[in-house]
Amino acid sequence: MTKDATSGSTSLVSRPMVIEGEISGDESLHVDGRVKGIIRLKGDLFVGVGGVVDAEVDARNVIIQGTVTGKVIARRQLEVQSSGRFNGECTAASYEIREGAVFEGVSRMISTPPKNEPASIPSGQDSKRLA
Amino acid sequence: MGLFVKDKASTASGAGEHGDKETSFFGAKLTVKGKVSGGGNLIVMGTLEGEFDLNGELVVAPSAQVNGEVKAVSVTVSGGFSGSLTAKQRIHLEKSSVVSGRLLAPKLSMAEGAVLNGEIEMKKPSEGKPAANDKTQKEKK
Repeated sequence: MTKDATSGSTSLVSRPMVIEGEISGDESLHVDGRVKGIIRLKGDLFVGVGGVVDAEVDARNVIIQGTVTGKVIARRQLEVQSSGRFNGECTAASYEIREGAVFEGVSRMISTPPKNEPASIPSGQDSKRLA
Repeated sequence: MGLFVKDKASTASGAGEHGDKETSFFGAKLTVKGKVSGGGNLIVMGTLEGEFDLNGELVVAPSAQVNGEVKAVSVTVSGGFSGSLTAKQRIHLEKSSVVSGRLLAPKLSMAEGAVLNGEIEMKKPSEGKPAANDKTQKEKK
C-alpha cells in the first residue's frame, strides 16, 4: 500500500468518486471521476476517458481524454486527445490538439522568454566588424 | 452518486475488498479540501479537509492527516484523524494512529499504542446486514 508514496507519484481520483473543492499539491493527478473546484498541481493533470473536470486548473502539463471545462493554465503543454473535450479559457506554453478532439473557447500562449540561448545572437551583429 | 450504476452493483458484491472496486489514491504531497463523495475505496497519504461520504473503504495512511466529517463503509486509520468518523461496518485504529473526535461504528478495533481522544458510539446495524450473521441466518430459516 505504501509503495508509491514517494515523490513523483500520481494521485488517482477513480471513476465512482466525486470531489467538490480544492486539490493542491506537488504531484501529478489522474482523474477518472469528477472534480469541481480548483486544481493546483506542480505536476501534471491527466483527465482520463470518462473523467469530468469543471475547475480552475493550474498544472504543468494538462492531458485531456475526458471533459474539461473552466479556466486552465498549463505551464508546459495542453494536450487534447481525440476523445477529449475542452471548453473554456486556456493559457499554455504549447498546444497539442488531436484530430477528433473538441476545443471550444479561448487559447492564449505563455510567451516563454528564450533561456540559455546566446548561440542564436551572432549572425546579424557580426556585419559591423566585417565593415 | 447514482451516476454510475455499474459500480453500485460491484459495491454490493464486494464491499470492503480492494480488488473488486476502484481505488482512489491521494498521495502524500496532495491536499484535498472540500466535499468528496462517491463509491470506491480511498487511500489517503496526504492531507484531507472537509466532508467525505464514501461507499467504500477509507484507509488513512501513517503520513496522512484527515480533518472533518467522514462517512464510509469501513475505515482503517494509521495516521492522524480529527473530527467525526462514521463507518457502516467497522473502524480499525492502527498503533500509529492519533485520533480525536467522535467515532460511530458497529465494530471498533484498536491496536496497542493507538491514541484516541473522544467519544465512541457503537450501534448494531438496524438493517439486515451480514454483520450479525448468526442471528440473521436463523431468522431467515
